[in-house]
Amino acid sequence: MPGIIEISVGQLLLALLFILVAQASSFIYQLGLNRDILIGTVRTFAQLFLMGYVLTWIFRSTTVWIVVGVFAVMVFSAVFIVKGRVKESQIPYIVPTFLTMLISYFATAIFVSGMIVDSTPWWEPRYFIPAGGMVIGNSMSALAIALERLFRDMRQGREIVEMRQALGADYREASQDIFRSAVKAGMIPSINAMMGVGLVFIPGMMSGQILAGADPLIAIRYQIVVMLMLVGSTAVTSVVVMLIVRRRCFGSGEEVLLTPR
Amino acid sequence: MSALLEISNLSFGYEGSSSPVFEGLDLSVREGEFILVKGPSGAGKSTLLRLICRLNKPLAGTILFQGKDIAAIPPARLRSAVIYVQQTPQMIDASVSHNLLLPFSFASNASKKRPKMEELQAMLREFYLDGVTLEHSALKLSVGQKQRLAIMRALLQEPVLLLLDEPTSALDKESAAMVFAIMERLNFAEGRTLITVTHLDYTPETVHTRICTLSGRTLMCQS
Repeated sequence: MPGIIEISVGQLLLALLFILVAQASSFIYQLGLNRDILIGTVRTFAQLFLMGYVLTWIFRSTTVWIVVGVFAVMVFSAVFIVKGRVKESQIPYIVPTFLTMLISYFATAIFVSGMIVDSTPWWEPRYFIPAGGMVIGNSMSALAIALERLFRDMRQGREIVEMRQALGADYREASQDIFRSAVKAGMIPSINAMMGVGLVFIPGMMSGQILAGADPLIAIRYQIVVMLMLVGSTAVTSVVVMLIVRRRCFGSGEEVLLTPR
Repeated sequence: MSALLEISNLSFGYEGSSSPVFEGLDLSVREGEFILVKGPSGAGKSTLLRLICRLNKPLAGTILFQGKDIAAIPPARLRSAVIYVQQTPQMIDASVSHNLLLPFSFASNASKKRPKMEELQAMLREFYLDGVTLEHSALKLSVGQKQRLAIMRALLQEPVLLLLDEPTSALDKESAAMVFAIMERLNFAEGRTLITVTHLDYTPETVHTRICTLSGRTLMCQS
């Protein structure tokens, strides 16, 4: 099998043409995304190169705490990205979101790395960190969508929630439609990805393994594990976070705390 | 006779606001009474009703329902006995019967008797909803019809205390008269305890009411 074809700096810069097209679209149609595209591009270069160096160092690491520490930093960064997307100041949701993400993703990464892939030790960085990264990245988007939906619907549907409460519903019964809709909204992208994988798109991890010369049948097995892992961890994290945050939308007397903006 | 509802020294204010909406408010309601709360808009009439069923939290004061502090009663259990009908009637996107039976799906109402479809149909007529069928989409009804349906839905729960928030505010004269007639019948014929908030100059003809005026942060009731 031929070795991997290297991408030179010049070829890498050529890929910036895609960004020019995106910038032109934003400019012509006044989408207001020019600044975000620029920052996103710079961050993509900086973060990935930094990640490359850090990964090289981590993969050589033989200390469990370094691996776990890197994992915690990844979760912490994900929470800040979620915070930036979900602009909610009335309900304190950051701490429960962070703790749920940390526990749930940690359990998932241990399960995948230590039990399914059966790496030794369980925290073997070459498996543990990429598995964790995929889980965090995927669930982070799901959580941002679900939280945004929960807060929006609680605000817009406050009168309906209160109608149910006024007729004897507890806060869970009064907001169950909103809860379901928020969890579903967060889950749909992961489920759609399962529907389209291998048919509509070839996942990045699998393509990467094949490009690096791995046997496609082994790459497929890894990819299946990843897809199932993403759906499971997204479901658990979304449900737990939504349960905690929904309770926080109500006061001690179960009164709705979110006021119209 | 001991009071069904005893409000003492009640104060309420919105978060971040320096002056309270009202303070030191007292009110005692006996079983079978019909109380009309009047006052200018913004005086806190609706808030008073919302505090009685714990949809809002007071800054200070106590509310006793059947001799028990409402803060010690589980909210859902309190609201299955003290039912509040909102100013703007809210319906879910479903049929009239589904909306009427919605509260029976809540755990706190599990022991209540679920009415039969024939009973609901007969009740629709009593609430001047003759042309409305149980299969009708509730969202397609007029505001006046929704208001009567909301009162009917509340009554199906056999409330000990019924709180009506401006039940005629969005209605034409004819629909408002129908709602007034229903309220008077509920109190006179069925002996229900009602607290109704209204900005209208309405005085019932067939029943005795106590009129309270909420103005300047205090509540004054006729003896």
